Amino acid sequence: MIAVVAILANVIGILTGWAYEKATWPMRAASTARLTLEQVRTGKRSVRDLAKTVASTAGAIAVLVVLMFPIYWIFAASLSEGAGLMSTDGVFADPSTYNLDAYHWVLFESAFTDALLNSLIVVFVTVSVSMSVVIPGAYALSRHEFRGRKKILYGYVLFTQVGAGLSIATLIALYVLFVNFGLSNNLLVLGLFYAAGAIPFNTWLLKTFMDNIPVSYEEAAVIDGAGRWQVIREVILPLSKPGIAVVLVFTFLAGWNEFIVAQTLLRPENYTLSVELYALATAGQYDTPWTQFSAFAILFAMPVALIYFFAQNYVESGLSFGGMEG
Amino acid sequence: MSTSFLDRVSAESQRLLPFDTRNLNLFGLLLVAPGVVLFLSFMLFPIAFLVYLSMTDATHAGTIIGGDTNFVGLDNYVDLFTDSQFWTSFGITWLFLAVSLVIKIIVGVGLAMLLTHARVVGKRYMRAIVIIPMGLPAIFIITVWRGMFSGARFGPFNELLATYNSAVAMLAGIVDQALFFVAVSAPEFLLVDLPVSWLSGRWSAFMAYVTTEVWLAYPFMVIIIVSALQDVPMELHDAAKVDGAGYVHRFIHVTLPAIKRPVMFASILTAATSFQQFLIPWIFNSGGPARQNELLIVYGYREAIELNQYAYASAIMVTAIAFIGLFMWLAVRKGNLAEGVDSE
Repeated sequence: MIAVVAILANVIGILTGWAYEKATWPMRAASTARLTLEQVRTGKRSVRDLAKTVASTAGAIAVLVVLMFPIYWIFAASLSEGAGLMSTDGVFADPSTYNLDAYHWVLFESAFTDALLNSLIVVFVTVSVSMSVVIPGAYALSRHEFRGRKKILYGYVLFTQVGAGLSIATLIALYVLFVNFGLSNNLLVLGLFYAAGAIPFNTWLLKTFMDNIPVSYEEAAVIDGAGRWQVIREVILPLSKPGIAVVLVFTFLAGWNEFIVAQTLLRPENYTLSVELYALATAGQYDTPWTQFSAFAILFAMPVALIYFFAQNYVESGLSFGGMEG
Repeated sequence: MSTSFLDRVSAESQRLLPFDTRNLNLFGLLLVAPGVVLFLSFMLFPIAFLVYLSMTDATHAGTIIGGDTNFVGLDNYVDLFTDSQFWTSFGITWLFLAVSLVIKIIVGVGLAMLLTHARVVGKRYMRAIVIIPMGLPAIFIITVWRGMFSGARFGPFNELLATYNSAVAMLAGIVDQALFFVAVSAPEFLLVDLPVSWLSGRWSAFMAYVTTEVWLAYPFMVIIIVSALQDVPMELHDAAKVDGAGYVHRFIHVTLPAIKRPVMFASILTAATSFQQFLIPWIFNSGGPARQNELLIVYGYREAIELNQYAYASAIMVTAIAFIGLFMWLAVRKGNLAEGVDSE
């Protein structure tokens, strides 16, 4: 709950900052342009120099446009008329024909809402289970010395970066076991599986975060007569809130994004959003309903993209935790 | 009472235990244990089971559950290493890894240099845009790219090629108008035969895989290289300029040493993910056509889930895991991944 509030506060903060930047953007651009013209007029800056800057910037923008073409296409396709790639409209549709029919179809006629419910069940299990083992684990690894601590840390570090394919490799063994115990078509077990996979990375992440909380705070609390649990509850947990929020985001993504294990284990009535998306995309070689697929895909990716956008700074700092920046 | 009964018991039990209990902080161990147990039960235990399965003659899931299997030793591995399908899969996996890695490095370094270049205005916003793929679910990106490579007449890439075709035809038309005395038509070799079925040809499908893999992974490269480039002091570049070093010289002697280590480390990590790539081939065309592009994990998955060759598939997966382990070892040796562990 605290973590959710923290995220919301962060979101609101970023939104206001973003709105302000957006609102004042034309003014800033205009003043920069005016300054540049002034410099050129007074001879402080040569025309040649200005031309070079304009050319490089234009080049960079051109590269970006090419790179982001798939994103443009999927938005254009979701808004275009008709169902399939039956005309040039699929790629460069006439903006005057844009409409929201496909979104209406996804929200009210497709399996989207059922799949959303399934996804939310899985995500709920993943987040609650992994949070309840990651937070104590990270605390213990950060603050306590015990036998095997280094071994556990090494093991976790190994799995943080390499090993995405391991879950598919082990899937075939797990599939047999799940079928054997009658657990294959079970959303709760699927959530548990994702939680297990999310443990190493998130424990390591939260542990490095807790390492940066000064021990002196705890010492002060102990001198004031606080017990072990009180220190955890009143010093460690409140100070780890941002770290816990990040872990919350990552475990949410682990449950929301995964596809192949879900597709192997679940039967149609339990399909999650990612599996429904795949079903829609591979409906047929030539008659894939592209408009509807695009709308579905965008609605599926939107929460993730938003979360990522708001947590961008955290994610990037999370990336550098392995000393990757040399 | 110098030594109580409890103290004596405790001393005695300490002597019997194989380790020093004074260092064993039970509290810490209890806190960390649930996570470790949960993780191991879903990771280490299946791997052990996989190794066992790979030495049996299990076919479909039922034989394993029914206990209807026999121990056959290393027979599956012998079969595997003499199977041409395995070597096709193994070869295409490494080729996929190598080609996509080279392109990723070129694209990553190029973009990073462009987005830290002094003459580019609005770099900060551009950097935020360029890493968008990182914030999207992999399944979203891969299904969208599958759409891009659609073999339909009006698929995006076919549509772009059609635009190119009509541009060539238009140019030929202009030349025809200008040279009114001869009839000029667009040369055949410049035109593309449409529609192209991208995912039905072996190498066109392979290039589609590589394109998508690069698009998935370049933001990671860009982030790491940009932060490395920003650490290079501007004075170094200026000094080199004063000494009369050209662009190429500056790249080799100033830029390259600064980004070499991070690029190498990022390469190890992204190569490891390429090696384990499953979603791209599976979603594009299930590793087709005719099983020619089955990357290793796809090969193992299909043998188990679709063809009911569990023991054989387990042997494939154990082989794959051995290589993944190699990548892990490499990542720890070459990068300072475990630095945080040792520094305390």
